[in-house]
Amino acid sequence: MSDPAILTEGLTKQYGSTTAVNDLTLTVESDEIYGFLGPNGAGKSTTIGMLMDYLRPTTGSLRVLGQDPQRDVVDVHSRVGILPDRYRLYDGLTARQHLEFVIDTKRVSESPAGLLDRVGLDDVDGQSVGTFSQGMEQRLALAMALVGDPDLLVLDEPFTGLDPHGVRTVREIVHKENDRGAAVFFSSHVLGQVELVCDRIGILHEGSLVAEGTVDSLRAETTAGSDATVEEIFVAVTDSTGPSAKASSETTQ
Amino acid sequence: MIGLMRWSPLARKEARTVITSKGVWLLVILIVLWGYRPSYIGWDGLGANITAGYVQIAGTVLLPLGVLLLSYQSIVGERTSGSVKFILGLPVTRTDVLLGKIAGRTVGIAGPVAVACFVLGGIGLVDHGVFNPVLFFGMVLITLAYVGVLVSIGTAISAVAKRTVTAAGTVFGVIFLPLVLFWTQISTTIFTQVTGTPVNPYEPPASGPLFLLLRLSPHGAYRVVSNWLLGVGNSANTYSHVLTKLEPQTQTNAYVVEATFAPGTVPLYLHEAVGVLILLMWAAVPLGFARYHFARGDAV
Repeated sequence: MSDPAILTEGLTKQYGSTTAVNDLTLTVESDEIYGFLGPNGAGKSTTIGMLMDYLRPTTGSLRVLGQDPQRDVVDVHSRVGILPDRYRLYDGLTARQHLEFVIDTKRVSESPAGLLDRVGLDDVDGQSVGTFSQGMEQRLALAMALVGDPDLLVLDEPFTGLDPHGVRTVREIVHKENDRGAAVFFSSHVLGQVELVCDRIGILHEGSLVAEGTVDSLRAETTAGSDATVEEIFVAVTDSTGPSAKASSETTQ
Repeated sequence: MIGLMRWSPLARKEARTVITSKGVWLLVILIVLWGYRPSYIGWDGLGANITAGYVQIAGTVLLPLGVLLLSYQSIVGERTSGSVKFILGLPVTRTDVLLGKIAGRTVGIAGPVAVACFVLGGIGLVDHGVFNPVLFFGMVLITLAYVGVLVSIGTAISAVAKRTVTAAGTVFGVIFLPLVLFWTQISTTIFTQVTGTPVNPYEPPASGPLFLLLRLSPHGAYRVVSNWLLGVGNSANTYSHVLTKLEPQTQTNAYVVEATFAPGTVPLYLHEAVGVLILLMWAAVPLGFARYHFARGDAV
């Protein structure tokens, strides 16, 4: 049994008196697709920031692929692909140069053209990204995350700016990567997609995990009803709010 | 070795970004125009090697300003735009990020600055005839090393600053104005305040600490080392100013060791080689400070 892709215990991040992430205990197995959901400002990107060592936890422990993402950053990041949220590409570089930068730093031999093809950007190879639409930027950033066949893909709001074709591409890539053996951890508030993609979901609200499980188990645990959509579960959980919802979900696991 | 080279793709990307920017080539044009200063005193003192002196003038004022302006955004700009998340998501440590940024920006700026120096060399060759190539290349190398020191300072500030405007204010208000433009006035004022000894710039006191203070800035150290190479005299002023000071029957406000200290009374720490150490210190100390801060805490 391999190490969990992500393991956090009591993970907390405070900014002054504001608690962005509160006592988060989470396990993402090495073979699953985990949807990390929550309203804007719930703490999803802060959590991902700590997983990627952009941010340092105030308290709590954290393992990524069995290693410490801070101390073992080089090892961990050799095996992780990240599509960040609120990023900006390098305007002066072409799509190919972006990919070459990642390929060279990860010391893998991959073809930029092949990666661009996988994300549906095959005709923009030498084009400066300054001319890219938001959807094209998002596809390129996804291609950068795919470099080196990572064991863990971390996708922060991967559907941002994508048209329906792009959304489908992301979904297909997530499934293919998971079939290849990668764990996928993605945050989203595009709830309609979540059910189509995820093995399990966790719902973060005001910094705390308020529900976690398969979509079916959450239907059973919440008041949303047996044929509820993820959106209805989400609303039920984040409206009633509070850690009590989490407690109920945990007792039934 | 592998660890050493982890940052080389980042350095290549940085170098490419700088070398394809308009700013660095504007700097090239400006420092060529700024550096070309034919003078009778320079010709009398150096002959055709005045061309190597042009390189020192090119390294004065505009070069430090330009290099600092081309460096101060290198990290804080990426933090505010969010692109640093790509770099920090790669298998590199935060120290690698600092080193890659500094190495890449240094190469990206030093290349065009070398071009400016060689343009000045070409102009000098036509104007004044054949100069000593070893001396000229030495001057270019020292100037490029100075570029590296300035990039290190600018990047260190960029790594510590939380906002771009803070970084801009710091490189201008804490580095450029006091340490490059007004260091002579500041160091003589400090000296007078501490010792109570007034400093007449035309007849300065033969004080080791005063002369050391004058060369403690990166700019002062660069000029001490480059004057050493040119062989004009031991001073943190420009070479032509030094030559003027050492002319008999002239009065000028330059601080030149040979004009002020009696032979045999010069403290060892005023040896020009100490200027090299001061330059190295300016490359290492801000970087060490920045590494300490950048490696701790939140990076975005």
